[in-house]
Amino acid sequence: MKLLLPYTNEALKLIKKTRAWIGPILIFILIMVAFPLTVELSSTNLSDAFYPVLFISILLVMMLATEDIFLEDYEDGSLELLLISNKSLSQWVFIKIFIHWLFIGVPISLLGAFFNIGANNDLNSSLMLLPALGISTYIFLILFCFGNSLSLTKGSVLGTLITLPLTLPILVILGKLTSAIIFNINYFEFLILLFGILSIIIFAFPAIISRIIKTHLE
Amino acid sequence: MLREILIIVIKKFIHQFASPKTYFYQVNRLYPWLLYISLFIYLFAIIWGLLFTPKDFVQGHSYRIIYFHVPASFVAQSLYAAMAISSAVFLIWRVKLAAYLARSIAPIGAMVTFIALVSGSIWGIPTWGTWWEWDARITSTLILFIMYLGLISLHNSFNNFDKADKLLAYLAIIGFIQIPIIKKSVDWWSSLHQPASITISDKPSIDPSMLYPLFMSMIGFAGLVACLVILSSKVQIYIREKNKSWVKDHV
Repeated sequence: MKLLLPYTNEALKLIKKTRAWIGPILIFILIMVAFPLTVELSSTNLSDAFYPVLFISILLVMMLATEDIFLEDYEDGSLELLLISNKSLSQWVFIKIFIHWLFIGVPISLLGAFFNIGANNDLNSSLMLLPALGISTYIFLILFCFGNSLSLTKGSVLGTLITLPLTLPILVILGKLTSAIIFNINYFEFLILLFGILSIIIFAFPAIISRIIKTHLE
Repeated sequence: MLREILIIVIKKFIHQFASPKTYFYQVNRLYPWLLYISLFIYLFAIIWGLLFTPKDFVQGHSYRIIYFHVPASFVAQSLYAAMAISSAVFLIWRVKLAAYLARSIAPIGAMVTFIALVSGSIWGIPTWGTWWEWDARITSTLILFIMYLGLISLHNSFNNFDKADKLLAYLAIIGFIQIPIIKKSVDWWSSLHQPASITISDKPSIDPSMLYPLFMSMIGFAGLVACLVILSSKVQIYIREKNKSWVKDHV
């Protein structure tokens, strides 16, 4: 029970800031709803364009979700308190990212799979898409947290500018995964590749981010 | 005993050379030699490549831009690797000269990557019939260019040099992941760009009459860019060490 306490604390903090987690989800819904309205295309063409729009909107929403993820804690002195206490900063970063993924990444992954049914009329492809979306939202979240930790006091534009190039290989893999889902070949290879990337950065990046935060606090 | 003496001598040499003052005076002595030798090699390679190599069976004379494009692409990626290594040296051993070098490499790297992109686009018109294609190699090189700009922006946004150096070092090391992706992009994805003609493991697929001037142009170009890095690093030393007496004496 004691182990779950930091998770509960972070979850409660995030729940209080409704704008921080409901906002990105609503923006994602609006983009996905607005996308068919903005083009005069047949349903076949719409389904072709669906995946790129889905991945780019997920990328943008994850960017928005992490906009000021560490800023409030930095400004109110929570980070300094954390640093002088015996608590692990990297563990705190890990928990913070995980809670953000749970409240934003998971609903967006579910909604993405749901919108896929609407665009392609195919439940099977949605079920195949769901784990890929779950993993990729977590990867994007970690990468944008890295960027925002670098530009902690300098605004999110700089953070996004330096992080976006790092997210592009993931977008390429997602593009390949789309073909794998459509043609039903090599699906698990690409999913394992995404999972492999996540399994490395899920532990490495919180440690790096905590070092960067310490640099800001020095 | 001999081993211990050798270790002490190496450590002393590294320690001395890691001092900005020693580096400054050493590169001042090296600079004219490097500049003139590199310039000679590059001009020799360019004249050899443009005037004395046969024309390509498929591309005709347009392939001769290879003596400009390939060295620029090679150096653009190598500079990033050098910057990542400098950053790692700075973070691990706290060698401040390594941080100065990383910062001074960034604008030169951006410039060389831009040259690689522009020369590639010019080569694309007669070869592919288009100056730009959203191809794996070209796009990843564009990303490298944006990475360089991002690194410069990040460093410039902080007034505290120590903090800026550390943040740049973290980003440069993480961004290094892009380099193998750029390198292998032509093998991993179906690409309009041709696969690498020169690899370590295989025999070069390019004819020796074109290969030798290409090698020379790469060496000469790398030397000229190294001269620019030296100049840029000297500017960094002037800025960072401006309060030191030896800088004041030198100026």
